[in-house]
Order: sequence, then structure tokens, then C-alpha cells
Amino acid sequence: MMETAWIIPLFPLLSFLILLLFGRRLKEASAFVGILLTLASLVYSILVLFERFTAPTYKSEAAWLNIGDLHLTAGFEVNQLNALMLVIVSLVSCLVHTYSKGYMHGDERIPVFYAYLGLFTFAMQGLVLSPNLLQTYIFWELVGVGSFLLIGFYFYKEEAKAAAKKAFIMTRIGDVGLLIGMILLFWQTNSFEYDEIFKAVREGAISQGWITLTALLIFVGAVGKSGQFPLHTWLPDAMEGPTPVSALIHAATMVAAGVYLVAALFPLFAASKTALLTIAIIGAFTAIFAASIGLVQTDIKRVLAYSTVSQLGYMMLALGSAGYVAGVFHLMTHAFFKALLFLAAGSVIHAVHTQNIEEMGGLWKKLRLTGPLFLIGTLAISGVPLLSGFFSKDEILAAAWEGGHPILFLLAVIAAFFTAFYMFRLFFMVFTGEARSEMKHVHESPGVMTLPMIVLGVLAVISGYVNTPWFGTFLGDWLTKGNDSLGHSHVEGPGWIMIVATLVSLAGIFLAWLIYGKKSLSRDWLSGRGGALHTILYNKYYIDEFYQLTIVSLTKGMSYFLRFIDLFLVEGIVKGVAGFVQGLGKTGSKVQNGQVQTYGAMAFVGLAVLVVIFALTGGYLK
Amino acid sequence: MSLETLQSFQWGIMAPEFIILAVAALLSLLDLFMPDKMDRKVFGYVGIAAIVAAIAALAGMIDHPVASILDDTFRLDAFSKVFKFILLGGSALVLLLAVSYEPKEGMEESRGEFYYLFLTALLGAMMMASSGDLITLFVGLELLSISSYILAGIKKRNIKSNESAMKYVINGGISTAITLFGMSYVYGLTGTTNLKGIAGQLASLGNPQYAYLLGLAFLMIFIGLAFKLAAAPFHMWAPDVYQGAPTPVTAFLSVVSKSAGFILITRVLLSIFGVTPSNGPGSIPILLHMQDYISFIAGATMIIGNVIALRQTNIKRLFAYSSIAHAGYILVAFASLSFVMFDAIWFYLLAYLFMNLGAFAVIQLVSEKEGSEEISQFAGLYKRSPWLAAAMGILILSLAGFPGTAGFIGKVNIFIGAFTGDNPHYVLASIMIATTVVSYFYYFGILTQIFFRPAAKETKFNIPTGILIVLTICVAATVILGILPNTALDFMHNHTNQFTDFLQ
Repeated sequence: MMETAWIIPLFPLLSFLILLLFGRRLKEASAFVGILLTLASLVYSILVLFERFTAPTYKSEAAWLNIGDLHLTAGFEVNQLNALMLVIVSLVSCLVHTYSKGYMHGDERIPVFYAYLGLFTFAMQGLVLSPNLLQTYIFWELVGVGSFLLIGFYFYKEEAKAAAKKAFIMTRIGDVGLLIGMILLFWQTNSFEYDEIFKAVREGAISQGWITLTALLIFVGAVGKSGQFPLHTWLPDAMEGPTPVSALIHAATMVAAGVYLVAALFPLFAASKTALLTIAIIGAFTAIFAASIGLVQTDIKRVLAYSTVSQLGYMMLALGSAGYVAGVFHLMTHAFFKALLFLAAGSVIHAVHTQNIEEMGGLWKKLRLTGPLFLIGTLAISGVPLLSGFFSKDEILAAAWEGGHPILFLLAVIAAFFTAFYMFRLFFMVFTGEARSEMKHVHESPGVMTLPMIVLGVLAVISGYVNTPWFGTFLGDWLTKGNDSLGHSHVEGPGWIMIVATLVSLAGIFLAWLIYGKKSLSRDWLSGRGGALHTILYNKYYIDEFYQLTIVSLTKGMSYFLRFIDLFLVEGIVKGVAGFVQGLGKTGSKVQNGQVQTYGAMAFVGLAVLVVIFALTGGYLK
Repeated sequence: MSLETLQSFQWGIMAPEFIILAVAALLSLLDLFMPDKMDRKVFGYVGIAAIVAAIAALAGMIDHPVASILDDTFRLDAFSKVFKFILLGGSALVLLLAVSYEPKEGMEESRGEFYYLFLTALLGAMMMASSGDLITLFVGLELLSISSYILAGIKKRNIKSNESAMKYVINGGISTAITLFGMSYVYGLTGTTNLKGIAGQLASLGNPQYAYLLGLAFLMIFIGLAFKLAAAPFHMWAPDVYQGAPTPVTAFLSVVSKSAGFILITRVLLSIFGVTPSNGPGSIPILLHMQDYISFIAGATMIIGNVIALRQTNIKRLFAYSSIAHAGYILVAFASLSFVMFDAIWFYLLAYLFMNLGAFAVIQLVSEKEGSEEISQFAGLYKRSPWLAAAMGILILSLAGFPGTAGFIGKVNIFIGAFTGDNPHYVLASIMIATTVVSYFYYFGILTQIFFRPAAKETKFNIPTGILIVLTICVAATVILGILPNTALDFMHNHTNQFTDFLQ
């Protein structure tokens, strides 16, 4: 199977092509084309993963371009990381394809939607299979295109158009870094091949300064794609896309591509302490920064978007603390529970037709399946013991502690507290209490939507057990087998970390419950506490006001500042350049006046100028 | 010269030229004697068959060692062989377009000429690729030019077509004069028109004053020939001529005629100035000294072509500027004079052949159907004819240089050439990148029309067989060369032996 793993991305590509050409005739049946073909690629991916458990890494390459002494190759590689990512991507994609059949029902442009999904899945799988940076870069851009098309799917909405543009531009900024880093690496090592680059790093063929510089530049690309500070702002805006898209692209796969890139190039990063530290700091800061913003959002998808940014920060922190396994582990569990949360949120939106959580409430009784599934996702992301997020987050905290950055560790713990708090705030406001606005026809989503959620729900519970301190670190052992440069298979952190993590997460949940869940309990339980009620109420406002005053106004101030830069500096330059080019074009077309004399004269003038230069410089320019 | 000497030459190596010549002559006679009412379309098919036969003959000689006839007036070397494939292939596709060309007016009386003049023009271009003597090179150039002048004005009763032919002739005359003036310097200094003879004489040139004169000669030859490339400062004829000429002729000018121009420039400038020392024996050749001038022209051409293209609303004018811009890109390959220069030029011409001819096939179809050449006619093409729109989309992405298409690989080749070598051309490469970005605007403008604008009409297109074949070949080749560029590059590497026989 591994020898033919290149077939996997061809399934979604085929789906894209079929729907592009025949989509209008297939109409809603397009969904079946997409679902069946991604299902095929999922089955294939799983088979490849199982084979990879026992077989060694398979790599196949062929000459792609020979120019002079330059030989570029193209091919694919199935190593542990690739095989795992393939399954994650195929699985989430397949589930999202299925889910969309219900969610997008009735939309006229279903074939287009599924065609874009196919294109994106193809690009993402191609990215994962790439054995060299050049190929990675091509697919990297292609996933960007897929994301752009899908965010702007409702292109008649101004916000969606703006968001698509913003996403494209912000990630492009990062891509420039990646491109420059890639070219510099090629210059230094004479190869785009991962293996060749790692070899050069191992053998010291590339100096320490160059390693740091190229690693940081490549990390800039990852920052853009994974929505890390300061290039994170596009991700919450990207929520303008259809919700299944948010689940697939902006939660589980594409935004994780930045983390994947750092993981795939880990031996390069690991060779530079500066690079690792930068990643860890950016990751930790993003984790707490985005989590704090998530505390005050009222749009259900935006809360989840900030949560994604924050969780990606966690993964970066893990990688930056040399916790390769922790980062990849969390990447996997996060893909499952965050996709679940988005799909469940989509199910809620589907039922109540609003995204504002202030207008929701009391949906637990009405959405009998979505509610519990959302709760599972919330418990998992909050790090409640025995669910998947608990184990991977614990691994990250241990890695951060062992990495010797107590401050970053502290930030991560606080972020974990925030995460538990805002996730349960979300849960309580949506599902408990009384409906805060009139809602008619609220009904559970059809089976085609709930089934994918159930699958993800199961995975959100159990996927953590592949790597636990209690039942063995199977995933870690497997990921690092035969490769010393990836670090330890797991980090043996002190036992109290797990207890702290648990306590922090429970504290967050408890606080959220006191503030937002109290409405359902105020009559019997809260009144019994008497005076405490006042303080808690006060505290609730205090927190919201606090963030209103600090984080929000700070963000606002920053956004004004950035907007200022954007308006006058960036836009000014862009307008200036565009105006200059336009003016040039205008002048040029004026000279082109249709008079053949002018044309001849121009040729003579051109010749004369060159001859004069030639004569004045004594024959030669040099 | 005795008959024995004449017979001793391997005339067989001229087989492709003979085939084209014979068929062109045959068609012109047939046209004379055939009743007026009979459809001349069959001429087109005969012409295509002749070109296919010529390609076969050429392919049969692919590994033929270098050979020459009559003191190098005709020579068959690796350079001429691989480039002749481009000329022949391009002409065959153009003839296919011509067969499907059904203008509403102006061509009633000249259908026959329309087909065989392409063949004579092609013959001229092939001579330009295959000669080592200034006289025959010039004759080939004129044969190509004069045939093209008539072709541009072949819609006799169409005023635009007339205007275009007129402008083309006048500008062509000026360019010829300049070129010849430059060549006369070379002849005056060496007393021979044979390129090898010239190179031999100049190699031992001691007096730097002569080098100075040769520098002037270089500039004049280069500027004169810039006319054929539609490169600055001799580009201004292109938009008017491209717009007025019948679409297949425009396609011919932008692909075959331009390729012939590059072939001639490479042959002449490299043979004469590539070996002539600039300052006494052993010093660096004049050509290296003149690199900056070529770079200057290349940069100006890219900027002018891409920038003015932004303001065009007529699709043929837009493609005229786009074609100017592409000439600039290829000049970058020439200016960098790297060891991959031949590869880069050849591959780019090949890629350009397919992507541009394919685009012209769509342009011809749409503008003929709508009776207008405005870009707005492409609005909603995706709704009206998704396949056509998809094909045009691929071709335009390739012209813009997107990964996965032939145009991308072509640009990568040129980049690599510009960056390697002793003095990398960073400025030129930056201009190329910047102008490529500018070109996205107008290329994507067309794509926006095709995919995102509502259609004014709902009518579908009937795609004539000729255009269908051209489109299929062009799109397939654009994609294949984009994904597996080595299919073409290996072919060239295997049969050219690094072009070592170029100067033999």
C-alpha cells in the first residue's frame, strides 16, 4: 500500500474534477461523489497507516526538472508523521463531506462547494506527502487557495469577501518568509530535500547562524498559516465561511499545517536553540493571548476560532520546548475535538439560525444529541481527566516544564484555566438556562450531520489513550522510532503537573458554572449561599469589564494602530505603486497614438539613446 | 562551380524545406487554375499535411551529424533542428486555426493565398534557423517578412486589416534598413558574409577601434532585429498590427515569427560577437560587454509590455502587449548568457507556442462568434461553455506563470539562468518578478470576466474541429510540460549534445 500512497490525494482531486465539469448536472448528488471519493482516500490512508506501523519509511522520487547541474526531484514519502497526518486529514475531510450534505442542503451551489472541498483535501494530502520543500511550498499555496475560495464561498456577503481577502493576504505575508527561508536553505545545502537538509544540519555543512535564520524564516510561514501572533487576525474573520469549512480547514487541518511544517522540519529547528526558544515564546504568548480574547466573544464560532488560535499556540509551545511528540499528539487530539466542536456549533447554528450566544440558551433539551456531543468536546478541550485533551495537554505542560521555561509553563497553565472557563461559559450560555430570544422550529439536525459528530465524539474521548503515562506511550515510541533528532518519545514530567492541570481545568469549569450556569441553579443552590451571590455577580462583571477595559480596548487600540498602518502605510504604498503603474500605462498608451511615424521615430530614438550611451562610455558600460 | 560539386552535397538534409517549398509552389499553381467557386479550404489541409511530412523528415534526421551545403549557406546542426520543430509545430497549429477562420467580410477573393503564404513565411523562418551566411539569413528573414505583410492585409476590404499591413510594411522596412546597416559594418571589417569566416577573421582582431565599430554594429543589428521580436524600442507596431490582422495571422506573428526572430538573433549575435575579443586577443568577447544593453532592452520590454497591457480593452491588443512582455522574458534568458541559455530559450518558446496559440484559438472562436474583440465578450464564458472556459483558464494561468503549467517551468528556467553564471542578474530577475506580478492583473482580469461575470447571452459555442484539435493539443501540452517538463528537456538534451556543433 505504501508504494502507492500517491493515489490517496488523487481521489479528492478526481472529485474536484468531476464536480467542476459535471457538477451542474449532478446538483445535490454532487455530495455523494465527494463523500465516496474521500471515503476511498480515508480507507487507503488507514491501510497505509497500518502498514507503516511495521514497515520502514517509504520514499519514492523521480527526476522532475534537470537544468544544467541542477536536479530537482518530485515524489512522496510515507514516514510516521506523514502517515498519521494523512489519516487525520482524510478522516476529518470525509466526516466534513458527510456533514455538509445536511448542513448545505438546499444551497444552490452545492457542487461548487464540494468541488472546493475536494480541491482543498487534495492539496492538504499532497502537502502531507511531500518529501521536499519545493513540493511542500506548491501545495502550501494550493491549500491557501482552497481556503480562500471556501472562506469567500458566500461571496455575495461583503464580510465574507473581505475575510477571504484578509486570510489570503495575511497568510501570504507568512509565505514570503517561508519562500525566502526555503531559497536560503537551498542556497546553503543545495537541495530542497528534507533528508538532504537534515543531513547537512547533522554534518555541520551549514553554519549555526544560517540554521537559525532559515529556521526562523520558515517559522514565519508557519506563523501565518497557523494564525500565531501577530498574524492571527485572519483566522477569526475566516469564520465567515460555511461552518463545515471552519471545522475542516480552520480547526483541524490547514491551520495545523504550520505546526506540521515545524514538526516535519524538526531536526532543523532542534539544531538552533534560538529558533526553538522563539517558537516556544510565540506559542505560549499566542496561547494565552488568544484564550483571553476568547473569554469575551459572543459569536459561537469566534469563541471557537480564538480557542483554535490558542490551542495552536500550545502546539507551538510544545515543539519549541523540544516536545516533538507532545506537539504532534496535541495536533491529533485537537483535530478531533475541535472539529467536533465546530460541527456541533454548526448543528446549533443550523437549528437556531443565529451565531450570537447571547440569543441562545436552554438548547440542551431541544438538541438531544448535539448537546452531549458538544459537552464531550468541551470537556476534552478543557483538559478534564480521562478525555483525549487531558493527556495531550498534560504532555505539553510537562514538555514546557522540562524545557526549562517556568514562565512559559505558567502562561500555559493560566491559558489552560482560561480555556476551561471560556469553553464552559460557551456551553452554559448555549445549552443551559432559558432561551434568551424567541426561537421557533428548533429541531435536532438530521442523521447525516449527527453521525460524523458521533464519530468525532468517540475519538475525542478515546484518542488520548494512544499515549498516556499510565497505559504506555505507544504514539510517542512509534513517532520517534529510528530518529534520534526528534527527542524523547515522551517527557517524564513531575507527577504534580498532572494534578495542577486537573485542578486548573476544574477551577475554570467551576467558575464558569458559578457565573454562567448559576441561572439554572440560583433558586435553590445560590440563594442558600446568601451573601456570596453578590460577590460572584460582581466578579462576573468585574471580569467582563476588566477585559473590556484591558484586552478589548488594547486589541481595539492595536487594531486601530494596525488599521492606521494598513490604511496609510501599506495601502499608501500599494496605491502609490498601483497609481505609478497605471500612470505609466496611461503615458505608454498615449505614445501609442496610431501614427506610424511615431513608431519609427521611437525605434530610432531608442537606437540613438543606446548609441549615445555607447559612445559616451567609450564603448562599454563597464 | 561544376555539376559534380553541386551533386556532392547532401541535399537530403534540406528535405523539410523542400517539402514546404514544393507544396507552397503547388498550391499557388492550383490556386491559379482551380475554378473560383471551389472551396480553397482543402489547401489548408494540404498545407498541414506538408508540415507534418516536414516534421517527420526532420525527426528522421534528428541524430544526423552536423552538415552543410554550399559554404554553410544551409547548415543542419543541433540548434537548427530543435528550433525548427518549434517553427513547424507552431505553423501546423496556426494553419489549423486558419482552416476554421470564417470572417464575416473581406476574404472572399484571397482564400488560396491565405493558406500558402503561411507556408512561404514558414520556409523563410526555417532558412533563418538553418543558415550560416548573412545573405541567406537575410533572404530568409525577408521571405518571412514579406509573406507576413501580405497576410496581415489579406482581408482586402477591411480597413483595419489594410492599416495593419501598411504599418507593418513601413516599420518592417525601417527595421530592415537598420539591420542591414549594422551587417554592412561587419562585412566591411571582414570582407565576408559567412558567419564562420567572420568569426575566424574577427577572432584575431587586434585593433580596439574595430571593436568599437563592432559595438555599433551590434547595437544596430540587435535593434533592427528587435522588430521581429516585438521588443522595445521596436514594439510599437505590434498592437496595431495584431489588432488589425486576421486572428490566425496574429497568432502566427506572435508565435512563429517571434520564434524566428529569436533564432536569428541567437545565431547571428552569438556567432559573430560571441567569439570576437573586445580588446585584443584573449580578452573577453564583445557579446559579454554588450550584456548590459541587452539587459536594458529586456527590462524595458518587460515593463512596457506588461504595464501598457493593463489599460487594454481589446483582447487582441492586450495579447499584443502580453506578447511584447514575453519577448522581454526570453530576452532575459538571452541577456544572462548562461550555460542554460539555449535550454531556457527553447523551452520558453515551446511553452509559449502552446499556451499562446491555445489562447488565440479561444480568442478567434469568441471574437468571431460575437463579432467583437472586446474583453467584455468573455463575460460569463464559464456559464456558456464550461470546457472552453476551463481550457482558457489553464492557458491563461500558464501565461501568467502559475505552478503546474508550462509557463511556470519556462520562467523557472529563465530565473535559474539569470541567477547562475559569474555575474548574476539580480536587477533583471527582480524586474521580471515585479512585471510578472503586474501581468497577473490583466490576466486575472480576463479570468474574472470568464468565471465571475454574468453572461450577456446564453448561447453555447459550436467549436469547429480545427479549433478543437488546436485547443486539445495546446492544453494537454501546457499541462504535461508543466508537470513533467523533463519530457521536452530530455528530448532536447539527448539530441543536441550541448549544442557543441553550433560553431563548428
